[in-house]
Amino acid sequence: MISFKNVNKWYGDLHVLNNIDLEIAAGEVVVVCGPSGSGKSTLIRCINRLEPIQEGELVVDNMAVHDKNTNMTKVRAEIGFVFQSFNLYPHMTALQNTTIAPIKVRKMKKADAEELGRETLARVGLKDRIYSYPAQLSGGQQQRVAIARGLCMNPKIMLFDEPTSALDPEMIGEVLDTIKMLAKGGMTLVVVTHEMGFAREVANRVVFMDDGHIVEVAPPIDFFTNAQTERGKAFLSSILSH
Amino acid sequence: MWSFYFHELMRSLPFFMKGVWMTVAVAGLSLIAGTVVGFICGIIRAGRNKILRAVIGVWVDIVRGTPFLVQIFIIFFILPGAGIELDAFSAAVIALSNLTASFICEIVAGGILSVPKGQREAATASGLSQYHQLRFIVLPQAMRTILPPLVGQYVLSIKDSSVVSAIGVVDITRVGWFTVQRIPEGIMVFGLVGLLYFAICYPLINLSGYLERRMTVMTIRL
Ligand SMILES: Nc1ncnc2c1ncn2[C@@H]1O[C@H](COP(=O)(O)OP(=O)(O)OP(=O)(O)O)[C@@H](O)[C@H]1O
Ligand SMILES: [Mg+2]
Repeated sequence: MISFKNVNKWYGDLHVLNNIDLEIAAGEVVVVCGPSGSGKSTLIRCINRLEPIQEGELVVDNMAVHDKNTNMTKVRAEIGFVFQSFNLYPHMTALQNTTIAPIKVRKMKKADAEELGRETLARVGLKDRIYSYPAQLSGGQQQRVAIARGLCMNPKIMLFDEPTSALDPEMIGEVLDTIKMLAKGGMTLVVVTHEMGFAREVANRVVFMDDGHIVEVAPPIDFFTNAQTERGKAFLSSILSH
Repeated sequence: MWSFYFHELMRSLPFFMKGVWMTVAVAGLSLIAGTVVGFICGIIRAGRNKILRAVIGVWVDIVRGTPFLVQIFIIFFILPGAGIELDAFSAAVIALSNLTASFICEIVAGGILSVPKGQREAATASGLSQYHQLRFIVLPQAMRTILPPLVGQYVLSIKDSSVVSAIGVVDITRVGWFTVQRIPEGIMVFGLVGLLYFAICYPLINLSGYLERRMTVMTIRL
C-alpha cells in the first residue's frame, strides 16, 4: 500500500530522510517513534507530498508520489491526515469541516455529504456536537472531528502525526480509542506516537527512527522487550523514565 | 460682513453639491477598481511565484514611496507625451485607483499570511485545489484581519482624492478654491469643505470601528 525505496530528503544541508526503505501492506498498522527531530513527521508528510522527496521511489496505492507528474489530488483523496495541532477550520462547524472536501474534491451532493458527515461524526462519538465550532470543543473532541474529517473522504490510508501530543492527559484515551476502532476496521494506519501502550495493543510493527534513518523495524513486543540497537534501547529507557 | 458671506456661501451650495458628486464619483470608482486590483495583487503577493511577488513588491514600494500629487502629475502630464491622452477625470481615477490598490494589496497579503500554515496544509492534505483552499479556507479567515484596515483605507483614499483637484477635477476641494476667491472667508469656506468630506467619511469610520470590535470578538470566540 505504501512503499519507500531508497528515499532521501534534505532540508538544505540537513539530511532529514536517509535511505528510507519501508513497505507497508494494506490493513497494516504501523507506529513510528523516535527522538525529537529524527524525521518522523517528515516521513509521513512525504506520503501525501506535503513535503516533496528529492531521491528514491515512493509509491502509494500504486500511484508514484515521487513523480512530479502524478495527480496528487487523487492520491491525497485516498489518504487522511491528522495533525498534532488538529488544524480544524475555525470558521466552520464540525459538520462543515467534514463536508467541505467531499463536496469540493469528491463532488458529492451537499445533502449526501452532510448525511455522511453526520454519520461519521456519530462514529467518533460527536453526534451532538455537529454544529459546534472548533473553539467550542475540547481538544479531544477537536481531534476526533479532525479524524472524522479525514474519514469522510473514505480514504484507504490514515496518517497520524502525534495525534495526542497536544492533548490533556484525560483526553488522550478517547482519541486513541477512535484510532483503535479504525485499526480494527482494517484500515491502513501509520501513526507517529510515543504512546507505547497503544503501540503494543494495535500496531503490527513499530518503526524506530533516529537522525533520519530507520534504525529498527519490529513487532511491538519484540521492540519493547528486546530492542536490537543501542539507540533503540536508549530511546525506550528515555520514554519509560517519564 | 460675515453673515453676508455666509449667505453667499449658502447660495453656492448647489455648486458644492456638484463637487461632492465629483468626489464621490472619483473616489467611488477608484475604491472599486482599487479593491479588485488590490485583492488580485495581494493574493499573488502572498502566493508562491517569487518573480510576480517581487514585481508587485517593487510596484507597491514605488507607489508608497512617492507623493500622490507627483503620481497624478505623471499620469496626467507625462503619459500624454508617450501618446496616451487622458482627460483629468480619467487620470484622477487611474491615479487614485493605483494608489488605493497598492495599499489594499499589502493589507490583503498581510491578511492571507496571517492565516496559520496548518490551515493550508490540512486543506492540501484533503485534496482541495489551490483555488478552493483560497476561496473556502484561507480568504474567509483572512477577511477578519483584512476588513478593518480595508475600510480604514477607503477613508484615507476618499481624503486623498482631494489631491486630484490639482489637475483641474472640480471636486469638493476645487469648488472650495473657486469659492474662496469670491468669498474671502477661508475658514468658513474650507470649514464647509472639511465638513463635506467628513460627512462622506464618517459612516465608513464608524463601520471600521464596528468591524474592528466585531472581528476582535470573533477572534476570541474562534
Ligand atoms: N520546513 C523545514 N525546514 C528546515 N528544516 C526542517 C523543516 N521541517 C523540519 N525540519 C528539520 O528536520 C528534522 C526532522 O524534523 P521532523 O519534524 O520530521 O522531526 P520529528 O521526528 O517529527 O520531531 P518531533 O518529535 O519533534 O516532532 C528536524 O531537525 C527539523 O528541525
Ligand atoms: Mg514531528
